[in-house]
Amino acid sequence: MTEPLLKVEGLNVSFTTYGRTRKVLNDVSFTVGAGERVALIGETGSGKSVTAKAIIGTLPKNAVVSSGSIAFAGREVLAMPRGEREALKGTAFSLIMQDPLASFNPVFKIGTHLDDVMRFADKREGKSFSKAERRNRIAAVLRRVQLADTERVMNAYPSELSGGMRQRVLIGLALLHQPKLLIADEPGTALDVTTQDEILNLINQLVVEEKMSLLMITHNLGVVRKVADRVVVMHHGDIVETGPCAEILKHPSQAYTKALLDAVPPLYGPRVLDLPASDKPPIVTIDGLNKIYGRRNGYHAVRDVNLVLKEGEVFGLAGESGSGKTSVARIIMGLSSATSGTISIDAPAPAKGRRLTQIVYQNPGTSLNPKRTVRQTLTLPLKAIGLDGAARLARMNELMDLVRLPQSYLSKYPHELSGGQKQRVAIARALAAEPKILILDEPTAALDVSVQKTVIELLLQLREELGLTYLMISHDLSLMRNFCSRIAIMLRGEIVEDGATTQVFANPTHPYTRALIAAIPVVTDEEERLKPSVSEEERTRFLVKTTD
Amino acid sequence: MQQHPFVAILTRLGTFVLVMIALSIMIFILARIVPGDPARMALGPAATQDQVDALRGQMGLDQPLVLQYLDYAGKALRGDLGMSLVSQRPVTTDLSQTVPATLELVLVSVVFMFAVAIPLGVLIAHYRDRAVDHLGRLLSLTGVTIPSFLFAITLQLLAARYLSGWPIIGRLDHDLNWTGGPTGFLLLDGLLTGRPDVSLNALQHLILPAFALSMAGIGQITRITRSAMIENQRKDHVLTLKSFGVPERVIIFRYLLKLSSIAPLTIMGLEFASLIGNAFVIEMIFAWGGFASYGLNAILQKDLNAVTAVVLVAGLFFIVANLIVDVLITMIDPRLRRKEAR
Repeated sequence: MTEPLLKVEGLNVSFTTYGRTRKVLNDVSFTVGAGERVALIGETGSGKSVTAKAIIGTLPKNAVVSSGSIAFAGREVLAMPRGEREALKGTAFSLIMQDPLASFNPVFKIGTHLDDVMRFADKREGKSFSKAERRNRIAAVLRRVQLADTERVMNAYPSELSGGMRQRVLIGLALLHQPKLLIADEPGTALDVTTQDEILNLINQLVVEEKMSLLMITHNLGVVRKVADRVVVMHHGDIVETGPCAEILKHPSQAYTKALLDAVPPLYGPRVLDLPASDKPPIVTIDGLNKIYGRRNGYHAVRDVNLVLKEGEVFGLAGESGSGKTSVARIIMGLSSATSGTISIDAPAPAKGRRLTQIVYQNPGTSLNPKRTVRQTLTLPLKAIGLDGAARLARMNELMDLVRLPQSYLSKYPHELSGGQKQRVAIARALAAEPKILILDEPTAALDVSVQKTVIELLLQLREELGLTYLMISHDLSLMRNFCSRIAIMLRGEIVEDGATTQVFANPTHPYTRALIAAIPVVTDEEERLKPSVSEEERTRFLVKTTD
Repeated sequence: MQQHPFVAILTRLGTFVLVMIALSIMIFILARIVPGDPARMALGPAATQDQVDALRGQMGLDQPLVLQYLDYAGKALRGDLGMSLVSQRPVTTDLSQTVPATLELVLVSVVFMFAVAIPLGVLIAHYRDRAVDHLGRLLSLTGVTIPSFLFAITLQLLAARYLSGWPIIGRLDHDLNWTGGPTGFLLLDGLLTGRPDVSLNALQHLILPAFALSMAGIGQITRITRSAMIENQRKDHVLTLKSFGVPERVIIFRYLLKLSSIAPLTIMGLEFASLIGNAFVIEMIFAWGGFASYGLNAILQKDLNAVTAVVLVAGLFFIVANLIVDVLITMIDPRLRRKEAR
């Protein structure tokens, strides 16, 4: 048996913060063979990113590798002198980071980043090239990642490129010195689903062409199926199970892997949940809505949108970033005014302090004030509706019961809560004003899949108990498939398709809808087969260009 | 929508003119509603009421305020800021002799600020939470909290005691036979007219007051630089460069420093106001003979034209300084150059 390219054995890493030591990697062992594509999957805090950092050698200062070995091509990396280890960076293995915008310094040109990385890697290899030579080599690499106008890309500042283009440059950065191993930390997660799909295709293609090995770090099981031959499942710093991709996704042997797979909302198949359509009268009617930001040459964010929300239904507004879905929600909430068009809400005017609509934001980590306890957070809306003293306390306890949190959590601060618990608090805060309509702005996008499942279940129960109407804004179509009774797809401010969720998914008519559905990473081959097909011509017509 | 840089600068200049007009109206009215008759003060207690009234008429003080202002503004646009009651010379002449002195002092202070504060901030950010950092932060806090006149006096005392022969007042030694140069900036004039001895002597005179003046700014900017460096160090792009083996010194001095200079530059623009305010005190202590001491005298003597002119010039300094800061920041940060229409 030949030596694997990367061999991690018995790796133990712990972090020390404020004098307390916490173990984050527990006896982690796995291998990546030459030309093999391995996915490291796990939820937040599973230690997958720490593993990558340990391999590359960018662990933070408070991290300690207490034992274990990392061997690259048979050579022990951890025992290498500093200079030798530095020399591996970018040449033996490269990292593709998750957030393509944050990965570039905003006040330097793209070309400067590329040139510096290349220059210092050359220097470590004892070579020297002129600036013009380096520029030519960089241009060649940029063409490899399908960026044709290399001059423009190199002279651009990071903020001047689209997300997809930045991600391509980031991949190019990793390819500058023909590394043997490509480590990708959630590539494309920060991008739209269609762009992510293209990025994954590109990585797959490059791995084959450049004869590289791939270590893909992800939380998305659909991505795993697309890019991995073998899967390593991690949980709380432990390796739960390892095996061939198809095997693990079809017949997981460990309970944790099974639960993880179960939590993924299916796109097609018997596990799909169909929500019955509401037969009640409309509660929100939107007619000819337009929104233009700015006065002259304004940005037309919403174009002639007509919508009807029926009482008690879950309506999904789907679209990619910049499609105008959040603008529509803000206008319904009264947070921003329409340029033209009417919105009528068919419900009795609310009493003082109460609101017809309330919103639950995407990231509870930022939508809750970190300096206020749960009690303080809930006090404000309850005070506004005139509740005082014992009545307020009783209502607070009631709200906590509603979102299935212990009443003792009232005195906790956000940082003492998990992501899912924080989102429950945010839901309780929204319910405090006794709204009829709840706007859910990607309510689970910042959460792990297993947590997402419980939050979605809670929302469905609340809708039953309180007779709420939901407007859900999201780009996650597989989640919406299982959560919404009706759905509308937005593209560049317009609604291109709408109807009952079952219908839209079974028979999408607009090519953009088909492209969106086709781009969703799915877990099973059956779902992949059931996806609608999109022609190349349609893709170029409706999708944002991510090359140049 | 991309805003043309030229349009952006024109808009800035427009705001700048408006601010100057507003400032001139405010100070013009303020100077005239403060109790005390300038004519009486100029003539002294012995003058008769007739003499005072005559001077008032001559100064136009018997006119309505609006007419007085329009008259003043009209003349000011033609470069005539009126006569100084005290010196009996045109205010512009007085200013041309005093402004360069102050400007030289302030500019050298700014140079000190950046030369000391930015490296210090970078240094203590690098050694965060270590002894160097604690010491540096303590020093910068001292700089911010202790009033500049105390520094000025302390420096004077120390120099007088330990550095014999080191000049502690004035801008230049009298025995140099200096008759004045084209710009009024002694450092520059000395070099332009082939008198390096004058430049050197002027520099010796400058160091103590400029240092005293810059202490508050040094403290402030050190702290801002430190926190900006630390905040930016946590960013993903630093990790990206590190994971490709770009050396740490390059990351710090090239990538982080440029990004982290935006905050201290902005603070510098605002700091300029207190810099001019402090210059009034420092100039008195060091017998500097700049426009700040001129302004102080004018205020005490209720020399209306001189007061108005001094305030306008101080305002001009502040606005121009911030204009320069704005341009610099726009040059550093490309995101500010593309103002989105949204």
